[in-house]
This record gives sequence, structure tokens and C-alpha cells, in this order.
Amino acid sequence: MTVRGGTVLAGVLRTTRRSLLLWALAVAAVTALYTAFYPSVGGGQMDAMLESMPSEFITAMGFDSMTTAAGYVTSTVYALLGAVLTLVCAIGLGARLVAGQEEDGTLELELSAPVSRRRIYAERLTALWLTVLVLVLALSASLGVLSAALELGLSATNVAAASTGLLLFGGALGTVAFAVGAATGRRGIALGAAAAAAVAAYLLSYLSPIAEAPWMERISPFHWYIGAEPLATGFDWPGLALLAGLAVLAALGGAAAFARRDLMV
Amino acid sequence: MTPAIRVHGLVKDYGRTRALHGVDLEVRAGEVFGFLGPNGSGKSTTIRVLMDLLRPTAGSVEVFGTAPAAGGPGLRARIGYLPGELSFPARMSAGEYLAYLAALRGGRGRRRTGELAERLSLDLSRPLRALSKGNKQKVGLVQAFMHDPELLVLDEPTSGLDPLLQREFLLLAREAGAGGATVFLSSHMLQEVEEVAGRVAIIREGRVVDLDDVRALRARAGQQVLLRFADPVPLAEFVGLPGVENAVLDPSDGVTLTCLLRGDPMPLLTAAARHRVVRWQAEDRELEDLFLDFYRQPAEPTGPARPAPGAGATEVGR
Repeated sequence: MTVRGGTVLAGVLRTTRRSLLLWALAVAAVTALYTAFYPSVGGGQMDAMLESMPSEFITAMGFDSMTTAAGYVTSTVYALLGAVLTLVCAIGLGARLVAGQEEDGTLELELSAPVSRRRIYAERLTALWLTVLVLVLALSASLGVLSAALELGLSATNVAAASTGLLLFGGALGTVAFAVGAATGRRGIALGAAAAAAVAAYLLSYLSPIAEAPWMERISPFHWYIGAEPLATGFDWPGLALLAGLAVLAALGGAAAFARRDLMV
Repeated sequence: MTPAIRVHGLVKDYGRTRALHGVDLEVRAGEVFGFLGPNGSGKSTTIRVLMDLLRPTAGSVEVFGTAPAAGGPGLRARIGYLPGELSFPARMSAGEYLAYLAALRGGRGRRRTGELAERLSLDLSRPLRALSKGNKQKVGLVQAFMHDPELLVLDEPTSGLDPLLQREFLLLAREAGAGGATVFLSSHMLQEVEEVAGRVAIIREGRVVDLDDVRALRARAGQQVLLRFADPVPLAEFVGLPGVENAVLDPSDGVTLTCLLRGDPMPLLTAAARHRVVRWQAEDRELEDLFLDFYRQPAEPTGPARPAPGAGATEVGR
């Protein structure tokens, strides 16, 4: 008798469901909070506020288009707090799902069960992506409800485009943490590598216009995600493809190393 | 018949540290086999190679005739494994976790969990985090035995169990053995395995230094004997008796004789009976004493590998 597909996935989700619910509520709440402020700070007031700021600061923070609803929600939710929360959750979980549970020993009985390493890897990675998907859906739902209630005029297609970008951005960096953890068995290394990649992605994207160095944007996953302002312009296929490519590369590299190395060392 | 476990020249390095220096081992199908060694001697490393958690640096390992990495899930389905150190996920009850582990075996073992939990008096509804060390060990034992595996690989199975539950465990192991299963259990104490095991291998510093029938090993280990007489006795009557070693007479009183007895006790008893004996004490020697013997007698190989005193976790030079 062999194990039914999804058994490992279901086991992981059972232990993480409570914290996943809390994360989803937090993301939805933060999204609602920022979006609800738009009518009071948007439009004319925002122009006045921005005039008092140095132009380099405005460029660096991506506040150029804060006067439109799409620009405001992009700057506050998609580029800032929504993305940070999603990243923290995805990277933390990614580092824990193999490396963390290997280090604390809870993975030993699963690894010695009649389940292949490849399947453990695949189903645990699926759990990571489902988690990020739930967060992004919570964010999108919260935004959708408020957009309709406050008549912000955000198109559903564009919300889907920006949310798809966030799913791939958070999922890709979470996958980096997961893969590095699966390759090394060290949670600290996994966290460090993925967090460094995330910070570098932000810095490259923000500094690029100031340094007038377009190559910096081109190699930044953050720019791949948000650079084309999908909430205003819709699906940015090249950017999404780059993010998906990063995720696939990381996943395959991690899988190859995980299949070969010593576990529970 | 294919042996259940065959390990030949197994070497395992962790980075630059060599943990196993060429382990040789053969466990016949259907036997209960003890794997003895002090902590840090390489027991768990050997076991983790059997479970395909670790990959050999050199040498060959076969479980039921197949290398663990090649056998994969199909091979592990035939094994019940108890790790030396157990940690469980948070926020699950013992029953939920056992159901999950059974699900990983395609549902095999679900039927027996209740019965095994009852025998070990384990409350399945308790959350794993709240379990004491002994109760955690019970969860580990239940999951190892629940699917009636052909091979049980048990790393320190009785650690944390009180004497009553140790008994219950020995019964379980004996039943599994009687049912045709092979049992491979490790321990750092000879007395823990001698009641149940037929043969025993002793591992020390990454090498199997002895492999023998448990009774022969016990006989060879001998007993530490203390005799007290009513009146002083001449030491010469005891030195050189067959099976008697290290005979010493306490110089302060001349009436207390200590010696190491190996094999037949009759010559010693006969010699002692010529005098009035007021006290007789004989203690089985423990594994640690056996290891001391290996240090003292490096030129007396009894197993497939030669004892190698002082060959610790040596650096692999580069």
C-alpha cells in the first residue's frame, strides 16, 4: 500500500492552519486600513503634502503617482506593507518547512516513513505556495470590498494582475528560503539568504532611478513584480515570467540538493 | 536466506570528522539483535544509514538485500523505526499524530494504534507538547510497532520508560520476534538487551569490536565476586584457579577476597568451601567494564573487526 498524494500537504496544513488564519486576517486588516484612508488623504491634500517633500525622496519611495487610487494603493499596500507581511510569512514558513523542522527533529519520522524525499519536498513546497495564495486572496478580497464601497474605481483585472504579481513575488522568495533550507538543513542560512535577497530586491529597485542605473531595476525581483505598476496598467507578463522563473530555478536546485544530501545531521 | 541487515566496511564522515571507521554487521532474518555501545560510539549514525537518512561515505549497506537509497519508500514500508531522540510537531494530539504517520503508510497501522496505546497505557487524546519523556517514548514505540513491520530498527527503545513499561516493551519485542520479525535494537546497557536479544554486536568509536551470542558475551564478561571469610585465608589457594582472575586479598584484614569470575564457578566455590565463608556477593559486570577489557586486551579479537584502542573520532587528514 502506498501513501495517497497530498497526505504530507494535509499534515502540514493541519499544523499551520491556525497561524495561517491569523496572518490572513492581519494582511486583510492592514489592506483595509490603508485603503480606507485614501478618500481623506488622496487627491488635493496629497498634492499639497507631496509638494513639501524633496523630489528625490518622492522618487525613491515611489510616491510619484500617489494622487491616483491605483498609485496610492500600490505604494502603501502592494509595494509596502502587504508585500512586507507576505514576505515575512513566506520566508519564515519556507525556512521552517524543511530546515526548521529538520533541525528541531520533528521531520525525522516523516523522512523515515515510506514516502520519497521528492514527494516530501514537493508537498511541503505546495503548502508554502497555498499559504501565500491565501494571504494574497485575503489582501485582494479586502481591497475589492473597499474599492467597491469607496468607489475607488480599481478594475478587477488590474487587482488580479497586481495580486498575481504579489503571489509570485512572495512565493518566489519563500521558495528561495525553502530551497536553501532543503539544500543545507539550516534554518538560519535559509532565512538569511532569502531575507538578503528580499532587501537587495527592494534596494535595487528604489535606488535605480536615483542612481540612474537601469540595470539595477532589471535584476530586481521587486521591480519585476511592481515596476510596471500592474494596478494601473494590468498584467505585466515579462515581469511575471521572470518571477516564475526564479521560483522554478530555486525549487529545482533545492530539490536536487535535498535528494542527495545527509538528513538529520 | 537473505540477511535482514548486511553492513560491510561502512565508513561515514561528517565533514572532516570520521564517525564510522568501517562497521561490519550481519543481522539474520528473524533474529533479535542487540547493538550495544556507549553514547557517541556510532550507533545512531549506523541506524540512520539503514534508514537512508544518511548516505555512506564508503562501504556497502543492504537491508533485505537492497541498498537503502535504492530501496526507497518500498523498503522503508517494511521497517518500523524508533529514533534515538524524538521530537513531535506542536498542536497535535498523540492520536492525531499517529493517524498521520499511519496515513503516510497508506493507512497501515491505524488498526493497531488503539491496542498498542492501551498496552503501554498511553492516552491518545493528550497533546504531544504536554507529554512527559516516557509518554513521548510510548508514542515512538506505538508508531514503530503499529504496522507489524518485517524489521524493527529501535534506537535506545527503553530510554525514559519505567521498569514496568520496559517489561511491556520486552514483551512487544519478543512477540514481534516470535511473529517472524527481525528486531535490531540499540542500547548503551547490556542488561537492557540481554533478556531479549540472541546475538549482540558491540560498537565502540565507530567500529564493531565484538559480535557474539549474548550468553557467551555475558559469560565472557564474567562477574565481580566478593568473598569474606571468618578467618584469614592464603591468597595462593585462589590465584590460578580456572576462571578466576585478578584475585586480590584485602591487605588490611586478610579475610576479604575479590576476584573476577569468568565461566564455571565450581572451582572457586570448592576452594572457598574449605574455609568458613561469611559473605558472598557476585555482580554481573556492565558494558563499561567490557570496554575496559577491550582497552586492556587489544590483541584478542573476537568479532569480525579488531578492537582499536584509542582510535577516536580522528580527523581525516587533507
